[in-house]
Amino acid sequence: MVATITAFAFEVAPAIAILPLASFVIALFAGKYLPKRGALAGIAATGGSLLLSLWVALTVAGGATYNEEIYSLVTTPNTFDLHFGLLLDPLSALMLVIVSLVSFLVHLFSLGYMNDEGEAGLPRYYAGLGLFSFSMLAFVFADNLFMSFVFFELVGLCSWLLIGHWYREDAPPSAAKKAFLVTRFGDYFFLVGVVAIFATFGTTVFAGPESFPTLAEEALAGSGGAGGGAGGLSTFGFGPGAWFTILGFLVLGGVIGKSAQFPLHTWLPDAMEGPTPVSALIHAATMVAAGVYLVARMYGFYALSPTTLAVIAFVGGFTALFAASMAVVKRDIKQVLAYSTISQYGYMMLGLGAGGYVAAVFHLMTHAFFKALLFLGAGAVIIAMHHRQDMWEMGGLKERLPIPYYAFLSGSLALAGIFPFAGFWSKDEILFEALVHGIGGSPLLLGGYLMGLTAVVFTGFYTFRMVLLTFHGEPRTHTARNPHDLGWSVKTPLAVLGILAATAGFVNMVPVGTILGLERIELLHGWLDHGISGLTVEHYGELTHDFAGYTTGALAGSEVLTVLLSAGISLALALAGAGLAWMLYSGPNPEAHTERLGDVRTLLMNNYYQDEYQVWIAETFGTGVARLSDRFDQSIVDGAVNGVSEVSLLSGDRIRRIQTGIVSNYATLLTLGLVVLLLTVGLAGGWFL
Amino acid sequence: MAVAVQYYLLLSAAMFCIGLLGILTRRNALFLLMSVELMLNAANINLVAFSLQYGNLTGQVFSLFVTALAAAEVALGIGILLVLYRNFGDVDITKATTLRW
Repeated sequence: MVATITAFAFEVAPAIAILPLASFVIALFAGKYLPKRGALAGIAATGGSLLLSLWVALTVAGGATYNEEIYSLVTTPNTFDLHFGLLLDPLSALMLVIVSLVSFLVHLFSLGYMNDEGEAGLPRYYAGLGLFSFSMLAFVFADNLFMSFVFFELVGLCSWLLIGHWYREDAPPSAAKKAFLVTRFGDYFFLVGVVAIFATFGTTVFAGPESFPTLAEEALAGSGGAGGGAGGLSTFGFGPGAWFTILGFLVLGGVIGKSAQFPLHTWLPDAMEGPTPVSALIHAATMVAAGVYLVARMYGFYALSPTTLAVIAFVGGFTALFAASMAVVKRDIKQVLAYSTISQYGYMMLGLGAGGYVAAVFHLMTHAFFKALLFLGAGAVIIAMHHRQDMWEMGGLKERLPIPYYAFLSGSLALAGIFPFAGFWSKDEILFEALVHGIGGSPLLLGGYLMGLTAVVFTGFYTFRMVLLTFHGEPRTHTARNPHDLGWSVKTPLAVLGILAATAGFVNMVPVGTILGLERIELLHGWLDHGISGLTVEHYGELTHDFAGYTTGALAGSEVLTVLLSAGISLALALAGAGLAWMLYSGPNPEAHTERLGDVRTLLMNNYYQDEYQVWIAETFGTGVARLSDRFDQSIVDGAVNGVSEVSLLSGDRIRRIQTGIVSNYATLLTLGLVVLLLTVGLAGGWFL
Repeated sequence: MAVAVQYYLLLSAAMFCIGLLGILTRRNALFLLMSVELMLNAANINLVAFSLQYGNLTGQVFSLFVTALAAAEVALGIGILLVLYRNFGDVDITKATTLRW
């Protein structure tokens, strides 16, 4: 009986993704005639997905897993097949719940943000949301890298559709194009990586004895590190270790583009041009999360390559600091949140690179909750402010919007990493992992740790600057004195996420667990440690230890002391940042202090001229290459085509003159032809010898 | 005493060449038809000669087929010739040159 229920839960699992697809179709074709223009279909579909995801998660919690092919696209004997399949293990079950929950709440919130505000193009909007949810959910339960790539691209397409929703204005279409192009740039590397993985392993499935991480591990174990044979795998003249590192980097290109890591982060702040619920969806659960999720999904492969891990950790740490510093000077509430997103995903990458798989997944989860909350909170503020986003025009909204205020405060405390909110536990765990592996023999990670630690101060500062400017003090404009009313559809998601942002951290309280010696309190660790063998935390720990040489060190030889110090330092720094913001921006009429930064402010306001230099690169090299290609196309390709036609025309013009119309001439030609043919055949055949 | 086969071949080759020459040089379409007839009959002589040589009747049967073919060809040829005359007022093939470039 139990077995049948388990099997049935997995049988219906594809519906988790199919339901939003159905809502996409309904909104697209029938949205015009529906009372809420497709919103209800979307809410019902994502609600259904959420229920199914929870059911699947419960089933997975019971110890069952699922790894099956469901639809085969191309099957070729002796080489490889392309198929869609389902991989339901603790990681994907967790992510399914997160994505469908956030997606459901965003649909609900959209009722207030889009419908009640009388926006145009609602069927298109809800169709986009449905397709977006579908793509991300299918990406999450993909069982192979090929399927991941397909839905990775679909997610990119949906972000393009939704960021450019208000296509009649100037900025949104341009931002949408930028998001699409920048992420596509990374995806080129991903595509090459997928093909290379196919060529190397003949398969791209994630789990099982025939999966590519397992094959890679066997190849490395068999050959004893770098060099030597690779267990029947073709590594194109490289040692297997070096080749796997190259493959890891290729796939990482897609990750860096989608997860907005330096230097491909520039699209994300511009993506704020889209409707705010879309920003919440992109930043919390779908687009940006896809990159980090992909690394977590194939962590068994990345764990084999110390170089890739070090680069992931370093890029992550640097991005965390880099983006946080830009968030400090922004005036637009959504811009601050955008840079904080980049920064937080930097932390996740740091966690993954530092061997903290659980920590990174944990932060992915808590961040999904508190960042969705912050964006929806910002959306609520924007509704109340009649679509004004400059924080200097707000102020004093605390009394007028109590529910958004407390929810937003909960999200901000989580973002800044203040005890005991969700972000504290997860961010602290990431920094802790980087620290212990750093002092345990991988000093490179200490660099990432220090950057992450510095970013904590910035995070605390910009978060509370945002809260203080938006909600505290005296109202600075007439709009802020008389904010727009908010409906239940706006307040409900905020309340749900507000509670989650405050409490989600309790699922993995590592410091408490270590100090009290209660391993069982680390629920998420235990959750990720069961399921399909080869995809467990324990296995990943062995891999990073054996192949990347990560060993756990401790300050002064005491684990408890290290945990306490790590948590204490990051909390103290977060409080210091928050305190600085309080000093500068509290009071009824805060002043702008960014002017005092002088040239640094100019640099930060211009985002370190990242856009400028990338545009410069694109223009210099892009147009150069384009001009060369144009010349090649015009002269050589077109030349060849035109030449062929010229020759045909000319020779046709000459040769047609033998068509005299006189039968005798034709007969002569026939006869002569026969004679020539006979002579040739005769000479070649030696008849005349 | 039977005639040796090479004389038949010589006769046939000579007839074939006369026919060919007729086709290549004559301007009157009627002569062209006659020349074709000559060439077909040259082939017939070959068939009959080898039939006699090998004592095999297949060649003679084939020559009957060729005769039938020649009759059909002449019927078609005369038809074309009539149309040619109606359109151009002449049976000179060098005059009928409208199917040209």
